[in-house]
Amino acid sequence: MPDEITLTIDGAEVRTRPGTNVLQAALDAGIYIPYLCYYPGMKAFGACRMCVVKFDEGGPPGNQASCTVPAADGMVVSTVADDTKAVRKGIMELLISEHPHGCLTCHRIDLCGPADICLRHVSVNDRCVTCPKNERCELKDTVRYVEMDMDTPLTYNNRHLPQRVADPFWEMDLNLCIVCGRCVRVCDEVRGDSALTFTDRAGRSLIGTSHGTSLLESGCEMCGACIDVCPTGALVERDYKWDKAAKKVATTCSLCPVGCQMALEVDKRGRLIRAAGDLDAAANRGQLCYKGKFGLDFVNNRRRLRKPQVRVDGALAEATWNDAVGVVAERLEEYRDGWFAMLASPNGANEDAYVAQKFARTVMRTNSVDVSSNIRPELFPALGEMLGYQAGTNPTWELEGADGFLVVSSNVTEEQTVAAVPVKKAVRNGASLIVIDPRETELTRYADIWLRPIPGSETALIGGMIRVIVDESLDDHEFLADHCEGADALRNSLWEFDLIRVEAATGIPQDRIRETARLFARAEASATLYGLETIAPDRRNDCVRALVSLSVVTGNVGRPHTGLYPLYPGANEGGARDVGCVPGGLPGYEQVSDPEARSRLEQIWGASLPSAPGLGVRELAEAIRGGQVRAMLISGNSVNFANGQAGDLMGALEELDFLVVVDTFASELTEIADVVLPASTFADRDGTITNLERRVQLVRPAVGSKGDEEADWRIVSRIARRMGASGFDHESAEQVFQEICDAVEVYGGLSYQRLQDRGLQWPCLAADMADTPVLYAADGLDSKARLQAMSMPQAQARSDPAYPLLLARGRLLHDDARPMEIELVGKRNEIRRPDVIELHPEDAGALGVVEGEWVSVVSTTATLRGEARLNGPQKGLVSTTALFGQMATELERSDRPAPMLMVDGLPLVPVRVERLEEAAAD
Amino acid sequence: MTQFDDLKSRADERWRELVAGNRPWIRIGAAMCGHSAGALDVVDAVRAEVESGAIDANVDTVGCIGLCYAEPLVDVLKPGGSRVFFQRVSPDDVSRIVGGYLRDGAVDAEHALGYLGDEPVDGLDDMSALPGIRLQERIALRNAGHVAPDDVYQYIANGGYAGLSRALADMEPSGVIDEMKASGLRGRGGAGFPTGLKWSFMVGSPGPRKYILCNCEEGDPGAYNDKGILESDPYTLLEGMTLAGYATGATNGFVFIRHGHDGPISSTENAIEQAYEAGLLGPDILGSGFGFDIEVSLTGESYVAGEETALMESVEGKRSMPRFKPPFPAAFGVWGKPSTINNVKSLSYAPEIVARGGDWFKGVGRESCTGTVIACLSGDVKHPGMYEVPMGMSLGQVVEELGGGTPSGRPVKMVQLGGPLGHILDDSYLEYGLDFDEMREHGAMLGSGGIIVGDADRCAVDMARVLVAFCQYESCGKCFPCRLGMSHLLELIAGVAAGDATPDQLKLMESIGGTMEAASLCFHGQLGFNPLRSAIVNFPDDFSAHLEEKRCPSGGCDEPLNMPTNMRPFAEEYRAVTMTAPGAV
Repeated sequence: MPDEITLTIDGAEVRTRPGTNVLQAALDAGIYIPYLCYYPGMKAFGACRMCVVKFDEGGPPGNQASCTVPAADGMVVSTVADDTKAVRKGIMELLISEHPHGCLTCHRIDLCGPADICLRHVSVNDRCVTCPKNERCELKDTVRYVEMDMDTPLTYNNRHLPQRVADPFWEMDLNLCIVCGRCVRVCDEVRGDSALTFTDRAGRSLIGTSHGTSLLESGCEMCGACIDVCPTGALVERDYKWDKAAKKVATTCSLCPVGCQMALEVDKRGRLIRAAGDLDAAANRGQLCYKGKFGLDFVNNRRRLRKPQVRVDGALAEATWNDAVGVVAERLEEYRDGWFAMLASPNGANEDAYVAQKFARTVMRTNSVDVSSNIRPELFPALGEMLGYQAGTNPTWELEGADGFLVVSSNVTEEQTVAAVPVKKAVRNGASLIVIDPRETELTRYADIWLRPIPGSETALIGGMIRVIVDESLDDHEFLADHCEGADALRNSLWEFDLIRVEAATGIPQDRIRETARLFARAEASATLYGLETIAPDRRNDCVRALVSLSVVTGNVGRPHTGLYPLYPGANEGGARDVGCVPGGLPGYEQVSDPEARSRLEQIWGASLPSAPGLGVRELAEAIRGGQVRAMLISGNSVNFANGQAGDLMGALEELDFLVVVDTFASELTEIADVVLPASTFADRDGTITNLERRVQLVRPAVGSKGDEEADWRIVSRIARRMGASGFDHESAEQVFQEICDAVEVYGGLSYQRLQDRGLQWPCLAADMADTPVLYAADGLDSKARLQAMSMPQAQARSDPAYPLLLARGRLLHDDARPMEIELVGKRNEIRRPDVIELHPEDAGALGVVEGEWVSVVSTTATLRGEARLNGPQKGLVSTTALFGQMATELERSDRPAPMLMVDGLPLVPVRVERLEEAAAD
Repeated sequence: MTQFDDLKSRADERWRELVAGNRPWIRIGAAMCGHSAGALDVVDAVRAEVESGAIDANVDTVGCIGLCYAEPLVDVLKPGGSRVFFQRVSPDDVSRIVGGYLRDGAVDAEHALGYLGDEPVDGLDDMSALPGIRLQERIALRNAGHVAPDDVYQYIANGGYAGLSRALADMEPSGVIDEMKASGLRGRGGAGFPTGLKWSFMVGSPGPRKYILCNCEEGDPGAYNDKGILESDPYTLLEGMTLAGYATGATNGFVFIRHGHDGPISSTENAIEQAYEAGLLGPDILGSGFGFDIEVSLTGESYVAGEETALMESVEGKRSMPRFKPPFPAAFGVWGKPSTINNVKSLSYAPEIVARGGDWFKGVGRESCTGTVIACLSGDVKHPGMYEVPMGMSLGQVVEELGGGTPSGRPVKMVQLGGPLGHILDDSYLEYGLDFDEMREHGAMLGSGGIIVGDADRCAVDMARVLVAFCQYESCGKCFPCRLGMSHLLELIAGVAAGDATPDQLKLMESIGGTMEAASLCFHGQLGFNPLRSAIVNFPDDFSAHLEEKRCPSGGCDEPLNMPTNMRPFAEEYRAVTMTAPGAV
């Protein structure tokens, strides 16, 4: 098949790739053919028939929907034949007989203002001014192109259906729906959720939810993709429903590490009113998630901090930048050389993280600088030591082409939602999926094999899989011979992973382990996604080593659609790591302990660097209590310090002598701060963010500052300058970035200019070099993969006798198996669904709990009540599964200024289970 | 001895026992036509007689012999004698009529229809002189009414599986396709596409999974031949599908039956089970090494599910909405795998074509349209039934001879041919032959064989609104022209019927119909205007009476339309319902 075909459309020569349909070929070439049901990036549907064209040569006879005809060499297409136009007009007459069209067909449409009296007495309901999508309506554009007459001969029939406004974030007005099915198809074809569906048929055909009446029960993930594709006002965001955009700014979402490219719409009052995914973006292909679509209103929040504040006599008082920075500079002088620690914001830019660590190291002379979300740093070192780079190996959207997946302890559909989109799509198209997770998550519903090993034994399980693969010769011999060293050491250590022992350690039957290993090994291209959210910190390093070994042994590294994807929580944690904003690492993954690396940076920075190891976010609580850290600067509080994952940091912070908080909102943290400095959000500053596929992308200012708030790097630079330091006088983020590119080798070839388009994936060593989508690909950027011996982990001891069990909380979009009800509370739907607590029969037996009995699960911070089921997966593990809809309701109702930044993970929690009578007796 | 010879000899032995053993054999027509006439009660009554010892006979329920008007039809065969048929038997008559005949040969003149066989029976006519028997040439229905549809051995004894056994033993798959091509068989779903050619498209498609789909959606009002075949002789379909599988290299077959067609569903499921037990389906059919599986798949109640791509969606468990083509099913069918879809009738011819050769089949019917038409004759005729007649028999002969003319004796005014997407024809069409090409030439279409006759008392507007209502109700709602166009057409024709319309609305209908025809995704929309347009063209007087004189010439339209529709209340009705306060003027 030729790589390129040429066809003629309306006399113009158009080149396209084989497999493209005629409509898309025309659109790509800038030739407009009206269409309503087609949407770029989705399969053609062929329902609206507006895109009819005629083929003078090389195509089927008559008027044909051009979206359904594959382009072929030599086709001669006419889009404007008279009878084609007549057909379109005929369809449009039918279509608007069901759609309010008083204005659509009116010649005065451009002359009328929103409040004008209609000279034709068109009813208010039938006018475009009462449509939320007025001025961004695809139907209107199409009507104009088709040149409709003002009066149409058909009876107009408004559907008179009530609006649906009871679900979170989302409103539906079916009176405006044209039943093009884009929403239904994007939900099914792209997102894999099928939360929307066609209802009824013929003249009553419409769209609706697939189960019951509410989105909450239909498996909706609140991604808003349906809204983005809707050509009319039928589906809209509730917030700012009626507002019109004055400008659109392309930028990078900073709520999670996927780094979605989006267009932020800003109204003329400077408010951020909407976000829509960028269809052409490599990182997200037009998709967003509940956070990016509906979680950005914090930018406009009136409670935003706009002025610096200094604590005077126990109360915070507004101050000028000059005064506030003066206080900070003066106080921090006392804590140089190790008494100070700094936490950068996980939602910040690379520039922020870089300046933060430079400040900590060169001004405060400490290595105690970290990102506050960095609670699972163990996800990376093994990647570096075994493969070369401490980063994910392959592009996110390549997952679409993988035919096998292993997902280990990662709630990816909620935490890095858009990265799960290609996974779900691939699995629906036949790829295999293995999930190892004690929690029931959305991906466990898709899994071919879902394993819930005894917590702490995950490495044993993966070792067992490697053992099976080696024993059954399913490993990639050629790859091992050519690209690896240490394979023998690994093989020789596998005797420990005798399946009988692995079965005993994991609680997973041997046959199941074999089946899992075979499934993974037999996939042509397997990708491994791991978050290790439920795995104890001391076990994560070994677990990552085991996962890397598994991928290497099966040859799943260095090829497209394979590789390892570490899934961390903070949006720019990856970038922060790149630029050295971690205690042990310098910019460019150099080690603090390496004198040569230090001296190289000392030359760039013109300052001496401390060599003593620094403290990370998880060690700070103890260090503060121990008096080693007495002053801190914390930027952003979007990692919830109260959830225990960083120890009791929140409590410890109160013991500090001096605390500076750089933040966007007042919070528990600002309450104990001595100085509070107002920070910009991602929507009102520029910079770069590096996502989980190593793609460095630009953040662009969309909303102007309304007060004194500034980007973090500017704030820290002010402090540094006031403290007399040099090297903090950059005038723009771009200048900071230039310095980053000098300091970080793998960024060497990057510049704002080069990032404009779709960002670049590091390593990109020089300005004339391409970027690197797939690490360790055949061109040999790095040396061989280094395998090493593995050892069997010891059983994990449960320490606290008061909380002897572990609770695995899961969350699903949709659960057929259990009954639920939707109740209208006020104006909003809420889910009513009793909790079910799954207990292992042995644990239940020890407690005297019987099936169906009501029990309570008590942790140090919360109590959960539910009906006991004796089908728990493992002794010692208790599990319960909630619905995403419940969380969505809470998120919408939350009175926190930025609830979507505070969405908690689902770690394992130590608990005890009590029978309800016992609890009552207490 | 081969596996098939073994089966065949067992089957022959059983058959001899039935037709020439010691006990009489009573066969009762219990297909849909019999069922709706009360045949199941008759069966119960006969069985009760046998149990009580009043009658000593083998009893079987069989399918439809074609004479639906005579149901419930009881066929009694005394050993060595001719088959004697009693028509319109009620349970109360059983003891007297059947018992009487078996005991002393007494024949009830009122209920006796005649005899079939070489031995004349006193006082009875030879039924082979009846038009309903004489004019039929039964190929697909060769066993209908003769063998029990729940006994694979009766089918084998009557020549069943001879074709498959021949194909598996002596023919290459391409040879089977050659026979099909030589037979000239054209698909009986309505489009008339050559079946052999269709099968050959699948041959080159990549395997290993390929599917043969059999379409028994058959939701047309007035068509029941697919269901009739499945109820009367499901094995002929199973054998045909297996042959198709062998010829095309397919591995699996689905018989796709509309939810609610209970008789065909249960007879097919039972037949599949028996075929597996006899080794006629499964991994190694008749010891040949060829494997083929068949299962039944049900649709929802949707007429459009009979469209081939919608059918595939439905098999996959999705909403049955048509896909666009290309890709065609032979390349991208069910679950994206190569698939061939055939109508029940097309597949049911295959066993005889392979057994007797394509040239034999070519000798039946017409040169360009070989074989037979299975006419489902209903409406204003004396003898409604399911008649398999050679292609090319004139519509008039079918209506007048097989149907026996109108019960009222008034002349035939209209014939509805081709199903709900077909046409309403006037009496000038009676002279044309039933044949895909001849009908198309005269602006009609043969469709799948439904023929509904209306006499001079019927109104074409009434007939049109019923068909438009059907098409509107059954539109799947996917493509805009059909979803919206059918609703408007229904509203307009309902207006005509009610005398509320003006003549210029005919033009509006024409324009909507033109849009639907030019732009709809599938045949449902493309052909959905056919009944209305043909009524307007063929019966201008009926329309002008409604439009200009505001009256229905026959009074048929005075009744409200008693059909389910998928309409929203139109604006006027909505206001009438919601905005008229009690007591308002």
